[in-house]
Amino acid sequence: MVKYSIVARRDLCLGCQACEIACKQEHDIPVGPRWMRAITVGPEEVGGKLRLSFHHIRCMHCSQPPCIDACPVDAISKRIDGIVLINEELCIGCDACIEACPFGAPQFNPEKNIVEKCNLCVHRVDEGLKPACVLVCPTEALLFGDINKVTEEIRMRKAKTAMLR
Amino acid sequence: MPKEKVIRTACADCHVGCGVLVHVKDGRVVKIEGNPEHPQNRGMMCPKGLAAKQHIYHPDRLTYPMKRAGEREEGKWQRISWDEALDTIAAKFTEIREKYGPYAITCQHGGKPSKVMRADYALMHSMGSPNLGNSDAPYCYGPMPIAEGATYGGMISQEYGSDCANSNLAIVWGGTPASTHLPWARLLSLAVEDRGTKVIVVDPRFTVHAAKADLWLQPRPGTDAALALGMLNVIINEELYDKEFVDKWCVGFEELRQRVQEYPPGKVAETTWLAKDDIIKAARMYATIKPAALYQRASIEMQANSVQTLRAIAILRAVTGNIDIKGGNVSWCFPEGFLHQLAMLGKESKLYSEGRLSDEIEEKRLGAKEYPLLSGPSAHFASPVYPPALIKAILTDKPYHIEALWVSNNLLLCLPNSREVYQALKKVPFLVVREFFMTPTAEMADIVLPAAHWLEMDEIFSQTTNLITARQKAIEPVGECWDEMKVSFELLKRMGLKYFATPAQNAEEELDYIVKGMGMTFEDLKRKHVIVVPMEYKKYEKTGFETPSGKVELYSSIFKEHGYDPLPYHAEPPESPVSTPELVKEYPFILIAGRRRIAYMHSMGRGIPWLRELVPEPQIEIHPQPASELGIKDGDWVWIELSPPNAEGRVKNRAKLTPGIHPKVVQCDAHWWFPEKPGPDHGHWEVNVNALINGSGRGDPIAGTIVLTGLLCKIYKDGED
Repeated sequence: MVKYSIVARRDLCLGCQACEIACKQEHDIPVGPRWMRAITVGPEEVGGKLRLSFHHIRCMHCSQPPCIDACPVDAISKRIDGIVLINEELCIGCDACIEACPFGAPQFNPEKNIVEKCNLCVHRVDEGLKPACVLVCPTEALLFGDINKVTEEIRMRKAKTAMLR
Repeated sequence: MPKEKVIRTACADCHVGCGVLVHVKDGRVVKIEGNPEHPQNRGMMCPKGLAAKQHIYHPDRLTYPMKRAGEREEGKWQRISWDEALDTIAAKFTEIREKYGPYAITCQHGGKPSKVMRADYALMHSMGSPNLGNSDAPYCYGPMPIAEGATYGGMISQEYGSDCANSNLAIVWGGTPASTHLPWARLLSLAVEDRGTKVIVVDPRFTVHAAKADLWLQPRPGTDAALALGMLNVIINEELYDKEFVDKWCVGFEELRQRVQEYPPGKVAETTWLAKDDIIKAARMYATIKPAALYQRASIEMQANSVQTLRAIAILRAVTGNIDIKGGNVSWCFPEGFLHQLAMLGKESKLYSEGRLSDEIEEKRLGAKEYPLLSGPSAHFASPVYPPALIKAILTDKPYHIEALWVSNNLLLCLPNSREVYQALKKVPFLVVREFFMTPTAEMADIVLPAAHWLEMDEIFSQTTNLITARQKAIEPVGECWDEMKVSFELLKRMGLKYFATPAQNAEEELDYIVKGMGMTFEDLKRKHVIVVPMEYKKYEKTGFETPSGKVELYSSIFKEHGYDPLPYHAEPPESPVSTPELVKEYPFILIAGRRRIAYMHSMGRGIPWLRELVPEPQIEIHPQPASELGIKDGDWVWIELSPPNAEGRVKNRAKLTPGIHPKVVQCDAHWWFPEKPGPDHGHWEVNVNALINGSGRGDPIAGTIVLTGLLCKIYKDGED
């Protein structure tokens, strides 16, 4: 069984935020809600050394999504391939899912008065395409696929690099 | 239902020109995405290009020509037809040429890499006026071609000249490619991941690249020449240089050896605020890990000693033998017969020598006397007018009267000394501005012309090292926006003039002419979309270097001839803790004025909602320690005042406290304005640091660089004055 996922390799992110704008364009999101965020943390001093890191905060498409349990109108569902979706027709904009999500992923769309979030570009995935944010990333810091295939890809790259060094 | 078309083109929201797939439906752009098959970017894009849909369909976009209907800056406009606009301009230019001569018609454009530059050259040069150029010439892509031209006879640090993809060591010196040249940053990232390339970053700021580097050097702004000469001292004295290359291909090594003795690492450490061991370590790494690519960027060009700093860096590459080799720094590879968009403007150009004006006219170019290697007949590269000389000429009628200014950028914000620029824009009798939006510069115009966007034009893009890409129109221009080249040809026709440099007499023929020598037409190129020219290395073995000696000139005969020091040296910035310790008491911070943000190029993009959401305000970076002494908290508005002799007055930026900057250094944004605020100024006087920088004549003696990196300033919290 597949579980589709985006995996962020934080150490490769350059903080360019192209993923954010690709997402905005793909889903026609107005100013305000941001389904994908590449958040810069730092520079800050950690143990006497400067550090700078980037964190991609978006819907994690949890295996046990707390938002599903929280939704009073059953607008949120999880597909068999792992993608968690909010049904626009059913959503009443109550924000219960926002309260339930540990990541702050669901976003309120003031133009539609409903809650939306990353849907893993389900329309693209169903056509065999990568999500918009993944396609646009300059450093391949965002990888997409069945979670265990993605981890395998990361391992292969690590192994190759270890050999080079 | 109409089908969606996908058009292959290239972005032009910065210099890089990424390959783009544009989805078009019913003649409207519905989506822009990176082209996975374009070798430049392999599917990636940055926020600017991705947001282009919001640019072209922006409700505030200028979509028809207008003429002033009230006083200048009053904001009263009357819509006119293109015919009326062109007839008016053509009549005016004809009258000026007869009355004052062609030199009285002048032009400025930005570094914007669409065909605007070529179109402006076609128009101005065909009228016989040499007085045009990019307004950032003295501090971006101006000093570098002078230094590299004198050293190698051509450039090797142009876009993609630094071949990090094949290097084992890359130096990122004075720039943040992740904010300005994202595809290069991508190549670097992949090189680190896939081949273990080591990285040295030289930057006063802890950039994203510094965070990932093997070695980060944090020099005092304005001392990069000392660092480069200190590294040369180590490399030469420890005999780590490439002896074979130096013996065979360099002249002036003994003179250089003597010069670098003045820069022992201990002394350089004092000058630069670096650790001596780090200087030695960087030198040894660069000389011994091969091949090594050295990427240096505009911050070096913005220093008081820009050209000699770039010379020292150019020489570093030469003595380590990293010239025109795979994984080093490489020069352009374009086929004979291809008229490169930049080469056509310069001596770079066996390709296009007819693009230049006669020496007699070139000598009249404003700035040619003061900065002959930048402007005029001796200029190696594009020979732009020296912008401060143009502004002075408008204001003083010296050396001659200026009657018209044709502007294709946001000159008022993008040129330092904005107050003087403002006076010049007010004074010049006839001002035409071509723009996308009603900028503070456009607000001052007599006639405003609406510009076509890159999604709306055919063009050939080739600024990178070995790629030729067809930029093809995805949609017809919105409203009555026009392609720049079409405007130039229509004006020339109305004036009874021909484009003197080519037989092409319209925009379509001009594109055909660029690739004609390759035996093709623009239509052919469109079908191919992109041509990858196979890289050729060590081209000098066939042709020598295009310097007077045919070799790499460590000791520059060109500089000697012009009375400049033939060897590089470090010079203190005119105001610095060393040269003006008295000033430092009142102005304790060294300012880097002009941070680049990924969301914007220069003054563009502030009105694009998605981009503005990413970067909503101008920001000044301050170390937490001095900030706490000054009572400045993260997010406070902070006023900036520059030391004399810069202008009195102040601008403010929002404080960002970060340990990623030296406690004695601050960095602010540049080019800010707020399209949403009322005209004519749209708030730029309050925030744009260029209003304060008043450095004409105090900068680099060779390129006339106005100091933007390494000024002195004081800062204080808003509300405490």
